[in-house]
Amino acid sequence: MSGKIDVTINNKKVSIKEDTWLLTALEAENIKIPVLCHHKDLTPDGSCRLCMVEIEERGKRKMVTSCNYPVRSEIKVFTDSDPVKKHRKQLGEFYLGRYPNVPIIKKVAGMCGVTKIERKPYLVDENSSACVLCGHCIRACREFAQEKILSFAGRGIKRHVAMPFEKVDPHCIGCTSCAYVCPTGAIQIVDDLNNPLDPQLIRDHGMKVNAEMATLDDQQCRMRKVGTANIVDVMDNYDLLPINNYQYGTHEEVWKIDSWMLQRKYFTQGLPDGCWKGCSMACAKTIDNFELKTGPYKGQKVTVDGPEYETAAGGSNMGLFDMDAIAEFNFYCDTYGIDTISAATTIAFVMEAFEAGIIDTSVTNGLEMCFGRSDSVLELLHRMSRGEGFAVDVGKGIRWLKNQWNKTLNLTDDQKAFLQDIGMEVKGLEVSEYVSKESLAQQLGYGMAVKGPQHDEAWLIFMDMVNNELPTYEDKAEALYYFPLWRTWFGLYGLCKLCWNDVTPADNKMSAEPQKIPDHVHNYFKFVEGMTGRKLDEAGMLEESARVHNFQRLMCLMLGKGRRNDDYMPFRGIGPVTVKEYESRSDRYDKQLKEIVGFDPEGKPVEEKLARLREYREEQYDKTLDVVYRRRGWDNNGVPTMERLRELEIDLPEIVAILEEYQKSG
Amino acid sequence: MKITVKDLSTIAAKKNNELNTYKAMLMVCTGTGCVSAGGFVIRDELNKILEQKGLDKEYLVVGTGCNGFCAVGPIIVVQPDGIFYQKVSKDDLEAIVNDHLIQGKIVDNLLHHGKADDSAKKTMKEIEFFSKQELIALRNKGIIDPENIEHYIAHDGYAAIGKVLTDMQPKDVVQEVIDSGIRGRGGGGFPAGIKWQSAVKAVQKRGMPPYVVCNADEGDPGAFMDRSIIEADPHAVLEGMMIGAYAIGASEGYIYIRKEYPLAMIRLEKAIGQAREKGLLGKNILGTDFCFDIHIHRGAGAFVCGESSALMKSMAGKVGEPRAKYVRSVEYGFRDAPTVLNNVETWANIPMILRKGANWFASIGSGDVTGNPWGGSSGTKVFSLVGDINNTGLVEVPMGVTLREIVEDIGGGVPGNRSFKAVQTGGPSGGCLPAEKLDMPVDFDSLTEAGSMMGSGGMIVMDDKTCMVDVAKYFTEFLANESCGKCTPCREGLQTLRETLQNICDGNGCESDVKYLEELATFINETSLCQLGGTAGNPVLSTILYFRDEYQAHIQDKCCPAGYCKLLVTYSISENCIGCTVCAKKCPVNAITGDRKAMHVIDSETCIKCGICVEVCPVDAVEVK
Repeated sequence: MSGKIDVTINNKKVSIKEDTWLLTALEAENIKIPVLCHHKDLTPDGSCRLCMVEIEERGKRKMVTSCNYPVRSEIKVFTDSDPVKKHRKQLGEFYLGRYPNVPIIKKVAGMCGVTKIERKPYLVDENSSACVLCGHCIRACREFAQEKILSFAGRGIKRHVAMPFEKVDPHCIGCTSCAYVCPTGAIQIVDDLNNPLDPQLIRDHGMKVNAEMATLDDQQCRMRKVGTANIVDVMDNYDLLPINNYQYGTHEEVWKIDSWMLQRKYFTQGLPDGCWKGCSMACAKTIDNFELKTGPYKGQKVTVDGPEYETAAGGSNMGLFDMDAIAEFNFYCDTYGIDTISAATTIAFVMEAFEAGIIDTSVTNGLEMCFGRSDSVLELLHRMSRGEGFAVDVGKGIRWLKNQWNKTLNLTDDQKAFLQDIGMEVKGLEVSEYVSKESLAQQLGYGMAVKGPQHDEAWLIFMDMVNNELPTYEDKAEALYYFPLWRTWFGLYGLCKLCWNDVTPADNKMSAEPQKIPDHVHNYFKFVEGMTGRKLDEAGMLEESARVHNFQRLMCLMLGKGRRNDDYMPFRGIGPVTVKEYESRSDRYDKQLKEIVGFDPEGKPVEEKLARLREYREEQYDKTLDVVYRRRGWDNNGVPTMERLRELEIDLPEIVAILEEYQKSG
Repeated sequence: MKITVKDLSTIAAKKNNELNTYKAMLMVCTGTGCVSAGGFVIRDELNKILEQKGLDKEYLVVGTGCNGFCAVGPIIVVQPDGIFYQKVSKDDLEAIVNDHLIQGKIVDNLLHHGKADDSAKKTMKEIEFFSKQELIALRNKGIIDPENIEHYIAHDGYAAIGKVLTDMQPKDVVQEVIDSGIRGRGGGGFPAGIKWQSAVKAVQKRGMPPYVVCNADEGDPGAFMDRSIIEADPHAVLEGMMIGAYAIGASEGYIYIRKEYPLAMIRLEKAIGQAREKGLLGKNILGTDFCFDIHIHRGAGAFVCGESSALMKSMAGKVGEPRAKYVRSVEYGFRDAPTVLNNVETWANIPMILRKGANWFASIGSGDVTGNPWGGSSGTKVFSLVGDINNTGLVEVPMGVTLREIVEDIGGGVPGNRSFKAVQTGGPSGGCLPAEKLDMPVDFDSLTEAGSMMGSGGMIVMDDKTCMVDVAKYFTEFLANESCGKCTPCREGLQTLRETLQNICDGNGCESDVKYLEELATFINETSLCQLGGTAGNPVLSTILYFRDEYQAHIQDKCCPAGYCKLLVTYSISENCIGCTVCAKKCPVNAITGDRKAMHVIDSETCIKCGICVEVCPVDAVEVK
């Protein structure tokens, strides 16, 4: 978008990206400029004036502060001209005169050529950790914590940093950002919470997260503005947003339910709303004064907690491109205590079965369960809450519905197979809202997840499909070993995983394993070390996590769902089920058949192409299961081996008993 | 009832017919100055008297905005003849009604007397204060009721927006304003049309709906131009903003007005209410597709909030501090949207430009603005003339008239037997111009060249009793107190300037001080973040430029030539003393002794130099040296 601009810096020509701050450009040229109010992670302020340089634009010379001067035209810059030196010296005198004992001031004044002052000013602060009014603390409070606890008070020479009404503000969350960025030590930290072993270590890494949130979030995921809803736009762009029970991945009406719509028309408050006060991401978003159109609270204005990505995408999965309906669905699911993902996925399944003619209104108690019918969706929810008829069946989930319909409806084998293919559940849990057809990693992430196909344990779709960080088969298989363990690890410590990957360091792409975001993984290790004193590395983390993960797998086995058979995805999650689905992306599938499967699709009927593609993809799935089981130390039925249990030191009698029971029954 | 463009002329004709049925109209000034001297009481009393005498159908009392000649208020002007009565009190009203209205005899003792020949002037036209003025922004002052929208419409009000909405494209409006050459009346003198054009470009580039803002945060000491315009003719400002909004495509406008202007605010609120009622604000204005509304934001009185970026921050509920304007507010302004901010007087001029044409406007004033708004200063400028001057008040003159015409002809010169010393223009950060500059033309570029500036139009006249070092100190102190403190040069620099000036006034100045002051003032001007600091050095620089001798006298001779700086003067009684004892009686610290009919003596140890003896002495025997 921005072009390059030729700028002459001290008679040297350089090319600079448009809208770069001049100071950044000067620093890139290794030119030392004295600064005080400037901080690399905070919005430039231009108040200390130390970074002033002289520029010449259209023949006219003037002084500008380089920190907040955007380069937009071909200027000449002079960083060392007489006026610059003269003004710098005067500023240095002011600062050194007023704060003679503050180390940073001495250093900055030295850069301005001032070591002792000629005129003693009226106000002198002898304190060596005096506040020098740089404003770092105030900006950190706003930009890191999104709070407004600190501000300047007093005009002119009376300017000082204060909390509201000059009192200690109880709303201060004690995040210590202000003290952290203070260059003079004027703000002191008193650590009296939880007795961490090394609070400074935690702080050093926490502030890195804060700074990244403040500087990068707006360009990356906009978590502070729209929360996880930003993913709607991304998934739609990459053909991964579930539409009509995962049939398709994109739709022309998505703009009606995307994050921009939410930001412009729905989300209110505009306040940081995190799980805990002090979270610098604060991604929770709400809609206030939302007037309900149905149900027991019809006509009332309520606050909707959300919608988040999964709820909005659940909407598109049911064919709803109406944010009002999605918000109402969101509110009533929350109010009735119904999970929005399971509800949306189950209803999407019901809708497809309805449209395919497998069920009709005699089954649905008169509800027209077509895609896009928000009235039916909401009425179904209300009936579910009242425990009425068909709605109760839907409430029991997809697996139950499939069994019930197989038993009670007079279905053909084809119809039964079709229901099996499109009923998006694994281990009895409904699949969360991503189209995994083109992502082998995500298919197995869902299929192998011990707790069922949610996105907590293996959310690989983004790194696989959007960032393209798992290009090879080996990468994908390895990711299925590493990431479920890494993501389980968050649960062990009760830590939020959003600040691991919902903002990434600017230079993450340059790291050895960008999909792991090593810099952020390291942050977590340091949090543990700072809290407990125990050093942690990747191997240690994986071992800790594997213990729990294997234990979970055996629990799963004990409950009858921990074998290979339980790890398969319905085919809708692996590839196209219907002719229509195939035809909607035929270029992609034809290409794959031709280039990878080695089957020439030219002139072949779609049914045949579908069958060949299915064969290939199921084979891939099976093959990958074998590889990953082996990597995890499980047998080819997906059960942990005794050696693995011993290795992990979880060969406790009760656990061994479960394994022996399995081996006995074969 | 919502009206259309066609209805405007009907309403105007009807209202004019109605007003013509009166034998005469009594225009009672109810601007803030006259109100504080009893303007409202006079208006109400006059109505009561007319009612009692059964004359209220024949004569109409109109409370108008500021008449301008504040020095002689309260004022009543009897129209259509323009008979001008000054310093009217409640007790004079019977005489005005009985003698003037009933018997047709002019009340002589309420007439103004000219300075030159001391003759009684019957009509406004004859009075020098008015005769040299040319009214554009103040076109309706004293002749309409500012609280009645129909009065405004009767004087061709809203005709300009009617014309714009029916006959002109937004880009034509922008071009007309550019061609008129009008430059911002708030101080900067930036061509308004160019500003509008940049906003249009920014809107196209960013696709964000823009805002128009009216800066009514008039904070200069001694300035009341904007207040008076709003009090006299609020609809002119609204109409100007409507035209601006149409030109740049805004649908929302804000007026930032200081809370210290209660009367102006009431009139503005009423005007907005009436305009909404008539469909001149709101949706589908005058039956067209144009939608626009105006909101009032009350300022809390910080001087720096008159600076556009601080104003916009304050309006957004944030601390009123300026930001660097490397990216202008026409691009990123209020709520980060493109914003056109103009001052009250600029907006009030706009309807006239559209009504009478850019050429008409450009022909008034100095220089040539054809094809280049920077080429001169077109139109008129409103000044508030205050200080040591006979005719204190509000004047509007074409750009380019000389300072002398304003000060001597219109202002009537310095009162008493004092002589003119300097005139301070451009508000606190303007400069002081000496007598030898009296013949310079008053326009944007000439003033800047002379080391002062146009500012928003405050003009403070000073006589020979004024100490220029003290004046510099006064304004520096004002600015130091009003500096937001955000940037170092303004915060620390003004404080240092103030201290240095205080030292000089106290007789503790040293040789190098003048050079230091000059360097420091230049430094503050060149390095400050906003224009408050960017011009804050002017009072010091201009007084040093024109009155260096006075600085030298304070520093070298430890004396204040104007006899003002207390620590540098002594009071003594000369041989002219007649021994009347008045000074001794009035002295608050009993520092004066002496027998009746004998020369008195001041004990300089006890004397607090309050100056009362000077004022009370009938023979000017008290000397200050």
